[in-house]
Amino acid sequence: MNDPTLLRQTRRHFFQECGIGLGSMALAGLFNQQARANSLNIAHHIAKAKSVIFLFMAGGPSQLDLLDEKPELVRWDGKPIPQEFIKGKRFAFMDTFAKETPKLLASRRKFTRYGKSGVAISELLPHLGTVADDISIVRTVATNVFNHAPAKVFMNTGSPQFGRPSMGSWLTYGIGSESNNLPGFVVLQSGPRGPRGGAACWSSGFLPSAFQGVPFRSGGEPILNLSTPKGIEPFSQEKVLNAVKELNQVRLADTGDPEIATRIHSYEMAYRMQSSAPELIDISREDSRTLNLYGADVRKPSFARNCLLARRLVERGVRFVQLYHADWDHHGGGDANLEKGIEKVAHEVDQPSAALVRDLKNRGLLDQTLVIWGGEFGRTPMSEVRETTGRNHHIDSFSMWMAGGGIKAGGHMGKTDEFGFSPVEDRLHVHDLHATLLHLLGIDHLKLTFKFQGRNFRLTDVHGNVVSKLLA
Amino acid sequence: MNSTFTIVFLLAGAAPDFDKEVKPLLARSCVMCHNAETKRAGLRLDSARGLLNGGNSGPAVVPNKPEESLLVQALTGKEGVTPMPPKGTKLTSAEIELIKKWIASGANLPPKETIAVGEKPLSKHWAFQPIQRPIVPLVKNPGWCQNPIDRFVLAALEKEKMAPSELAGKSILLRRMSFDILGLPPMPDERLTFEKDSSPLAYEKMVDRILDAPQFGERWGRWWLDQARYADSNGYSIDGPRSIWKYRDWVIGALNENIPFDRFSTLQLAGDLVANATPSDRVATGFHRNTSINQEGGIDKEQFRVESVVDRVNTTGSVWLGLTIGCCQCHDHKFDPLSQREYYQFFAFFNTVNEPNLEIGAPAEIKVRDQLKKELKGLETKQKNIDPLIPARITTWEGKLQADQRALIPEPVQTYVGIAPNGRTMDQEHAIEHYFRGLDLSRHVVSAGLAQNRWAALADLWLLRQRMELEVAVFDRKARMPDISSTMVVEEMAKPRATHIHLSGEFTRKGALVEPAVPEIFPPLQGKGKPNRLLFSQWMFHPSNPLTARVIVNRVWQSLFGIGLVETDNDFGTQGALPTHPELLNWLAAEFQKDWDLKALIRLIMNSSTYRQSSNARPEYSQKDPRNRLLYRQNRIRLEAEVIRDAGLAASGLLTQSLGGPSVFPPQPAGVYAFTQVPKDWKTSVGANRYRRGFYTYFWRSFPHPGLVVFDAPDAVATCTRRNRSNTPLQALTLLNDEAHVEFARYLGSRLEQEANSPSARIQLAFDLCLGRAPNPREWEIMNKLLQDSSSKDSTNLFQLARVLLNLDEFITRE
Repeated sequence: MNDPTLLRQTRRHFFQECGIGLGSMALAGLFNQQARANSLNIAHHIAKAKSVIFLFMAGGPSQLDLLDEKPELVRWDGKPIPQEFIKGKRFAFMDTFAKETPKLLASRRKFTRYGKSGVAISELLPHLGTVADDISIVRTVATNVFNHAPAKVFMNTGSPQFGRPSMGSWLTYGIGSESNNLPGFVVLQSGPRGPRGGAACWSSGFLPSAFQGVPFRSGGEPILNLSTPKGIEPFSQEKVLNAVKELNQVRLADTGDPEIATRIHSYEMAYRMQSSAPELIDISREDSRTLNLYGADVRKPSFARNCLLARRLVERGVRFVQLYHADWDHHGGGDANLEKGIEKVAHEVDQPSAALVRDLKNRGLLDQTLVIWGGEFGRTPMSEVRETTGRNHHIDSFSMWMAGGGIKAGGHMGKTDEFGFSPVEDRLHVHDLHATLLHLLGIDHLKLTFKFQGRNFRLTDVHGNVVSKLLA
Repeated sequence: MNSTFTIVFLLAGAAPDFDKEVKPLLARSCVMCHNAETKRAGLRLDSARGLLNGGNSGPAVVPNKPEESLLVQALTGKEGVTPMPPKGTKLTSAEIELIKKWIASGANLPPKETIAVGEKPLSKHWAFQPIQRPIVPLVKNPGWCQNPIDRFVLAALEKEKMAPSELAGKSILLRRMSFDILGLPPMPDERLTFEKDSSPLAYEKMVDRILDAPQFGERWGRWWLDQARYADSNGYSIDGPRSIWKYRDWVIGALNENIPFDRFSTLQLAGDLVANATPSDRVATGFHRNTSINQEGGIDKEQFRVESVVDRVNTTGSVWLGLTIGCCQCHDHKFDPLSQREYYQFFAFFNTVNEPNLEIGAPAEIKVRDQLKKELKGLETKQKNIDPLIPARITTWEGKLQADQRALIPEPVQTYVGIAPNGRTMDQEHAIEHYFRGLDLSRHVVSAGLAQNRWAALADLWLLRQRMELEVAVFDRKARMPDISSTMVVEEMAKPRATHIHLSGEFTRKGALVEPAVPEIFPPLQGKGKPNRLLFSQWMFHPSNPLTARVIVNRVWQSLFGIGLVETDNDFGTQGALPTHPELLNWLAAEFQKDWDLKALIRLIMNSSTYRQSSNARPEYSQKDPRNRLLYRQNRIRLEAEVIRDAGLAASGLLTQSLGGPSVFPPQPAGVYAFTQVPKDWKTSVGANRYRRGFYTYFWRSFPHPGLVVFDAPDAVATCTRRNRSNTPLQALTLLNDEAHVEFARYLGSRLEQEANSPSARIQLAFDLCLGRAPNPREWEIMNKLLQDSSSKDSTNLFQLARVLLNLDEFITRE
């Protein structure tokens, strides 16, 4: 199109008028490419955080063996849980669970007090203890659903139903990204397998697909189809790209369709991604002090490496980075237990998570980066009847921690009852977590909406409160 | 006070008079919300009848049992019941006692109670009004109009002092029709024929020809399967495979046969209930089996059964009625005249089904199959009994060995066999066992009658023969087993399940019992008999139904113009968009209602001048109507994910044209399943199946083929009536670097080399194959530059040229 003013106006019009029409799709592409300049650019208030790193502990870590110390359970160890706790509740694996009254299980882990606040953290997470004054542990998180996939989807989208947009999609839809040559929402994964729920966890749902999380692979090329195919020389690729651009420009002039201009931009960003993504994953220029901070695992595909990559991603302006690490599902069957099982996964996660907080802080990035650590739910104070020690899924209360990005340092919050079954103070529902997250990024969760099937949807559905107690 | 005493005490007094004593209390404190119009929680408290009928939670009053009556529980604030009234004057304890007394005395209706009849809700909303065929308007320029559609469109344009665009050229028109109707580009010879045909009806003839092609069933089958949320797997986290492609085949066939759309729909909603239902009719009910199934451990099965019924209700509402009825799952509709009770009445139609698999095959064939299966099972049991390698068998074998046979055993096993069994070390035992196992496996070597074989001499011949016979028998049964595939269907329960309102949409909180019924705002169900899915479907296609015809013609329009006359194609409620051309919509709906002939509707639209316009931008109108809602031109529309693949296959000449059958596995990039819980089975198809249309690509709900996702194919989790059309860098990477697209370019390159001799002929052919048109001078120049690069080979240059064309915006756009 020859008239740039017209083009801009047309776009602006589309942007304002169409929920889901032709034009907004064109714009969707632009959000990523031209970053903030073309995003919804919401700023309901001044943002504290610029980026989010969500360390997703897939499977549901046992808060009672990690972050919520319950001395009273020792006295009750092996005794049936009083009926008033479980009457009318629904649990996963109800059929096996209902045969006899489940027995309480004391943690076998020692807890140590750390930092100025003297917060208790289990021996499984010694490195986390060293950053106790930089983080806030919340012991009273609650969710709605007790099966892995729906619960993971719930933690990500605020709904157990598949097909809703995830928080990373809402966020990039709302405020775009600051990266010009990397996707605004990146997903990394480590551990023996991918998370249950799969792509639904980072789906853009009914939001335009440009806001979908882009999984980066740990081996080979980080993005599907990123590299020029074998047998095609770089100069040849460039020649093709140039001719494509020239011909697209000819067609743009002939038809006047602004979608073609967007297509030209898409190809340009794709070209930039071909060099910026490999640069991102090349950690050879990190100094050895940094590498050692994250631990020995950082040199191979691992959670440690992904933590380092997360820092590199937010440094480059990526808005939302999510790391999945499996598997915390310690029921007590086989190796999935609270003995060696939890020790292994806690060890894989502990040093890198603490290193990430420290590394971000050292570089002055922690203030503008919100770090969240936690799983889709927690585990029961009761044991399960299986070969080895384990606990069932629990949704009434579990623990997470947050750091940076406007979260109070050392502002640990929430109190559970003597068994750690239910919150007695400062319950924080997943919807509240979402409201708080958006708040820190400058978004009023009540105002970020998208109309779909006749209804205005929000990340927080019809719930959610910003938890001011957590804010710095 | 114990309850016996209470009742005795209350009975002692005279029963309170409802009208004089109870009703005024309710009128003061309750009726503000619970009246004939507002009916909060589905409850009316303006009469004794209303109390007994109750609301969403069930009857408000249980005669003789005040403590069990919800009304009393709400008034006294019993735990777990929302205290009432939430605001306004609360009832005093004396007043509550009075109500209790009335209940305890039997809650008798006052004689001749007259109830203010809640008026049948009326709505002035346009979409809920009956469809009336409007008068076709007069226009100033009738010469432009091919049929009534154009009159409506032109009248609206003329009113705004605007003029339609010129008609698009023949090459653009052919490519547009071909993509819209068949999802494939036209081939050069078709273009030649079309351009040569100078008869006045050349265009109409081409429309007819294209509509008759069998690929119509694939392209419009995709249109339909989006709405049916079709997939080849169960969804949720485990996402196991399923077999339901027979349903897809049914859709292709039904569309190609052009069975009337009402019949097409009724078979899918109620094929099991129609008179003389054939197996094919039952296959059609697969429509509502396309729901996800959660196979995760530890789930509450009822929860996910309810989810699937909810999905069926919402899908039916969106697809045929354009109603966001899903909003009423938890509460009355905020905007449209639909209540929560009505939602569950709607729900009740779909809540009484079993979900079996249906085997497709002649009864005789199925009988043969069952017999063979039985035999096979017996044979396999025998095999199992022979096969286990028990130590006892080794001992027997050893015992039977002759000296000359023993000499055949290789060392050191020969020596070990010579040692008495109780004198052998563990290692020696293992060595013998290992050797014996080897012999045992040798049965395969011996099988072809090699009795003289030295191995055979060592093996247990009797056993071998047994095995061989069994194997032959098993092979024979398997070979003779008829290939009977099964598909998922719906079937009415012999004893229907009761449906309750789910309070706040939670299936664990059961409210009042409801029966199947349609929302009151619409005309009632027609026909005799128990309300069921069949009556429901007939109701949707009754001429008095204001929605179905409008919704479907709008969605067909959306397919042919990229956007509907009503932009919110699945929300015709009060919150949806208004139609840009309400009269045209009514006219088309009335036309469609005559015979429900889908192809005729499509033909009608395609034959209009409105459809045939050029899609080029009109700068003069870009201020006035930037989104072309008045249709002063056609729209440029990016192709759908599957069609992008098909266009590449067609241009390169690789396309396999065969209709129907199970899904296939075209190549996909390595590492797609790095992020799944359960890696998916993806054995890349070879031969013809590698090059089938995108429509047939196996669809795993949890991880669909990345080429589909990147171009906005829906996730099949919920119904999709309108796809997104995004434009992203990941799409660029796919077209540039994906194995499949690079393969298309290679084949296209060599096709150009083989089928044309000169550079200019090659450029011409390349444009023809990819864009269905001739290049303009500037494009000639760019192409020539590419081909005449003397630094690389011709074939390399042609490959590059092919890549360029396959990456153009125009290549993936229908103009």
